[in-house]
Amino acid sequence: MRLDLLIPGLSAKTDHFLFGICTLVLLRDGKRTILFDAGAYRVRGALIAALQSHGLAPDDIDVVYMSHLHWDHVENVDLFRSADIYVSRREYEYTAAIAPSDWGTPPFVREMLAGLRLVLLDDREEEIFPGARTISLPGHSIGLQGLVVDTEQGKAVLAADALWSARDAVRGKPDLAFYDFDQGLASLTRLLNAGTIFYPGHDRPFRLENGHVTYLAQNAYRLRVAFQPYGDDLEYAFATERGA
Amino acid sequence: MPGDITLLFPGCPASADGFWVGATTVALIRVDGRTILFDTGPYAYRPLLLARLKRLGLTPADIDTVVLSHLHWDTATNADLFANAEVIVHERELAYAELPAAHDWATPPYMTRALGKLRLKPIAGECDIAPGGRILELPGHTPGSIGLLVGREILAGDAVACARDAARGRAALWFSDGAQADASLAKALSCAEVVYAGHDRPFRAGPPVAYLGDYALRIRLFFDPVGMDQEICIKAERARSFATWPE
Repeated sequence: MRLDLLIPGLSAKTDHFLFGICTLVLLRDGKRTILFDAGAYRVRGALIAALQSHGLAPDDIDVVYMSHLHWDHVENVDLFRSADIYVSRREYEYTAAIAPSDWGTPPFVREMLAGLRLVLLDDREEEIFPGARTISLPGHSIGLQGLVVDTEQGKAVLAADALWSARDAVRGKPDLAFYDFDQGLASLTRLLNAGTIFYPGHDRPFRLENGHVTYLAQNAYRLRVAFQPYGDDLEYAFATERGA
Repeated sequence: MPGDITLLFPGCPASADGFWVGATTVALIRVDGRTILFDTGPYAYRPLLLARLKRLGLTPADIDTVVLSHLHWDTATNADLFANAEVIVHERELAYAELPAAHDWATPPYMTRALGKLRLKPIAGECDIAPGGRILELPGHTPGSIGLLVGREILAGDAVACARDAARGRAALWFSDGAQADASLAKALSCAEVVYAGHDRPFRAGPPVAYLGDYALRIRLFFDPVGMDQEICIKAERARSFATWPE
């Protein structure tokens, strides 16, 4: 299975807004083109551009595999009108009565999914595409599902927010087990044993060897702010460094 | 004092490569016994919005009126929190959002469905929603953009996106009609002394435009899995004395 990183997750937060920039991955098995997660609305343009850089338009996506239904993973799902949208049945059924404390799942998520071709997946681990197995990773959300993908570099675990960042792997503890901590802890332990390359929900992909994290991609962003009505923009940059 | 405006989120005139910032102004207005929320921000505001209301002793149920300046992703997304409120939106905007223009990347196609369960109050023209609180039509950025005039202060939405647009007399970003957007910008500036722009902190309309306060945005970077977090701070502060800084 060919795996291309479209957008690396960003492990950052502001005191004004959440970034919600999650890892988006393109999978191709020669027959089907699969998108892992749809991303937050704020990366809508970046996602379309990233697909374009692979010669693809949203209509070329055959399957959108939704890890879970939090806002920052689902907001662009409506772009993929020609795709089968794979959603965990447990996760979908939960959206009929979202817990009042759960601000992560949009109460209107079913309205977002309306008119799309939904495929509800039972809580069963199976080879869903050639060279890609589903893995159940509840805890961050009620029915989070990841993928374990055979790549030329080894088994890659697309863990979404069951592994929020590499820090979870180093500490052996999930930082953001939104739904159930014990389940989140068990899921983290399972996923870390399922491969050698990890794609966290909100961090860049990394290889993990004897507890040592080697990142395989970087983040670099520039912000321009029009703070001076009569002057030039001010520029700010933040970027990760190679290795860690 | 016809009304009392509390800023829940100051806007920020920022843009980035790789993502849309969407740091929209959200304000709470108390006028004539009504508690009005002007705009609801992007989903990325949601936990902070709830926390900031709570800090003021409010829950979403205490908001009796929500004014949506327009139906973009970074303006109207949390409106569903306010099930008790009358949600004021221009009928032209509602009709437009059913089928946004192809070039309009900012109106989520599911927006009107997301608003469907709310107590929507579509308006057809300018009207008073309370003594001292008047809805103004400010089209151009979108077909049905509106603002709220409270005394001599205006919550302008993206009809006045930022102080720089006000200084230049031009609306830099519009999705519907550029000439109309420039006319709406001029209209908003002409009827108010203080402007709450869609993506900037409040300023005096001028000319020259002059900010009323400082702004700071902290960005926390959790980049090192075994080491320290980093933080960067994006600040805009008034000029202070060379002699007395630092205090």
